[in-house]
Amino acid sequence: MKPIYITGAGIISAVGCGVMENIESLKKGETGIGPMHYLRSRHTDIPVGEVKQTNDELAERLNITLPTTFGRGALLGMVALKEALESASILPGQIPKRTHFVSATTVGGMDRRELNYSNEKKCGKWGAEIATYNCGDFTSDIAERFGTFSSVQTVSTACSAATNAIITGANMINCAIADIVVAGGVESLSMFHLNGFNTLMILDREQCKPFDANRAGLNLGEGAAYLILESAESVRKRGVTPIAILSGWGNACDAHHQTASSPNGEGAYRAMKEALEAAGLQPCDIDYINAHGTGTPNNDQSESEAVKRLFGENIPPLSSTKSFTGHTTSASGSIEAVLSIYAALKEQFLPVNLNWNTPMEEGIIPVTSSKSKREIAHIMTNAFGFGGNDSCLILSRSNL
Amino acid sequence: MNKSVFIRSAQQISFQQPLSNEWMSSPIFTTQSLVKSLNPQFKDYLSPLEARRMGGLQKRALVATLKVLKECNLEHPDAIITGTALGNLICTEQFLESMIENGEQMLSPTHFMQSTHNTIGSALAIYTHNHGYNTTYCHSQMSFDLALQDALMQMDLGKISNALVGAFEEIEDGYFGLLQKSGYIGVHGMDPCSEVTVSMLLTSIAEKENLCRIAGMCICRPQGIDDLVEQLDAMLQKAGANRTTISAILSGKNSNPSCDNYYNELLDTLFPKVPTLKYKQIFGENFTASAFGLYCAANCLKENYIPEFLYDPCRNLRCNEISNILLVNQERGKDYSFILVQKI
Repeated sequence: MKPIYITGAGIISAVGCGVMENIESLKKGETGIGPMHYLRSRHTDIPVGEVKQTNDELAERLNITLPTTFGRGALLGMVALKEALESASILPGQIPKRTHFVSATTVGGMDRRELNYSNEKKCGKWGAEIATYNCGDFTSDIAERFGTFSSVQTVSTACSAATNAIITGANMINCAIADIVVAGGVESLSMFHLNGFNTLMILDREQCKPFDANRAGLNLGEGAAYLILESAESVRKRGVTPIAILSGWGNACDAHHQTASSPNGEGAYRAMKEALEAAGLQPCDIDYINAHGTGTPNNDQSESEAVKRLFGENIPPLSSTKSFTGHTTSASGSIEAVLSIYAALKEQFLPVNLNWNTPMEEGIIPVTSSKSKREIAHIMTNAFGFGGNDSCLILSRSNL
Repeated sequence: MNKSVFIRSAQQISFQQPLSNEWMSSPIFTTQSLVKSLNPQFKDYLSPLEARRMGGLQKRALVATLKVLKECNLEHPDAIITGTALGNLICTEQFLESMIENGEQMLSPTHFMQSTHNTIGSALAIYTHNHGYNTTYCHSQMSFDLALQDALMQMDLGKISNALVGAFEEIEDGYFGLLQKSGYIGVHGMDPCSEVTVSMLLTSIAEKENLCRIAGMCICRPQGIDDLVEQLDAMLQKAGANRTTISAILSGKNSNPSCDNYYNELLDTLFPKVPTLKYKQIFGENFTASAFGLYCAANCLKENYIPEFLYDPCRNLRCNEISNILLVNQERGKDYSFILVQKI
């Protein structure tokens, strides 16, 4: 497998707009999870990881005329995509040929639809377009703001979707279908999935506590992040400097249950193992794991089991940055990849696992001090979704 | 695409006779604007308990897939790749409705659990205990084509040697009304809105049972007609073909002028002398209906026969010999997909 270069990134999350703000928050240990402020839901007792901006404020960043008709997710996607393109020296309206866009979402435009729902029965054409705005329309809106990509695609595998979008992008480059793929995911908070997760009784009423014995569930978050994936030839031709290498990836299905992970983490184990093999690395080569670590009793137990099976006694430093951003569902794979690249590979610090106090029985002890004992060269990020759609990326330092 | 890829088996459930290619000799036509699927006998495949726990679309997806796997004598495909624009639409609509009407209270988790787009693809894996590669594309009219492209990529890279690729869509009356208002379907004189279940197994192994070979494909959002022609010609050339060697074109025309105009313009410009076929008059329109197109072309190549009702009435040309078929799918004149399939 040829290495895929990462030549740019963009991110917006509860802990900031842009790579700089996000990394500063990780360094300071400041979470973005707090009381609900922007989402209109009756469940105000549920803490969430919101992007601290209104839709109009997001639109203003993009020079979109107010009031904007775009939904929150599309705006979040555009903000992250803009930064990603700029950081890779790709100008709006001048997307190079053979550059594709692969984006993940599940919620898509649901946030806008649920607010208009009561008018749907007697709506006109515009109302019907809001109601039937599908994930593909949503991705196209984000992409078209910046020009014409060679193709525009949407991947939707719930909470592993952004990771799977990155995997699709990497395969497109390896098959020589693309020279550059902008890949990642976006999710805004919606009443729909907040209530959905609430009915599953997996939302913590306090700050989430990944890998803690007393963890009581996840906090939902929102945001977007994109990586610019590029072939070696394209990197040389454009004269850009990579920030990291995507050296391996794995995708496996847990095939256990629609919303629960298997006790031995079979899917997670297979995805991680496949990613290591694809990268040509041994478990001992991994210097940091950004865990899926949602904070639900089931995920953290299952993921711990899978990590222990693969790494044995020598588990690398591991943390869940969901304690900062909340669980950004379909965006989490790319958000956590960007955070891990900049924190661990670029700035050589380990993002800590906030709110951890008590070890789980036979569980993993996550990172509580950001100082790494050794140089960080290779990291792993996990993303697991409903239906057991489990995926893993290995990111490495670039020597170019 | 460097390696040979074949369709080993393909099954459909639509408003034609389910799990059969009876449509080739006895097609069912309709004048309705919305036609639901004709369900097969689920009890032949699922226990009553299993059947009760699943929604209609999930049952159709599973049964079509089980039949394909049985025909291939295969228990575990290397990958399960799904295309669906709307996923389990009925569950999504039900959860949304009860959430708004009950003021976000007293909700049941079942509809939410089933509402994510990957529910169908992962349910197939859960039922068949399959740990292989599993992903779902939800990109409107291109969803199935993207799923197919993913399978071809992974076979090309040697990561897998076979893949189960499926397209699944369901519809309910309220959502149909909204799609009709948006102008997508239900336009006067247009082919009916339908539900989609297509499951097929791709393999890199040459076997006499294979239906056809997939010689090449290209999904693009061209920057104008020149770019489109360049990409199409490059794909055909790589497959050892060119625009003059195409036996027939099977397009996604649906008798809605706002859709067909894009096809007509393309076909009249690039393929003025090639017989053209269409399939949505018997399989209907829905976002992943392009899978019916590939299913249909595969059967025509296998049987070496093109039923008269497939010919597009706007072009009075007939095929002498069928050696290959070029499938064309597009959305709003913006996104295009071309798939070249060959007789074995």
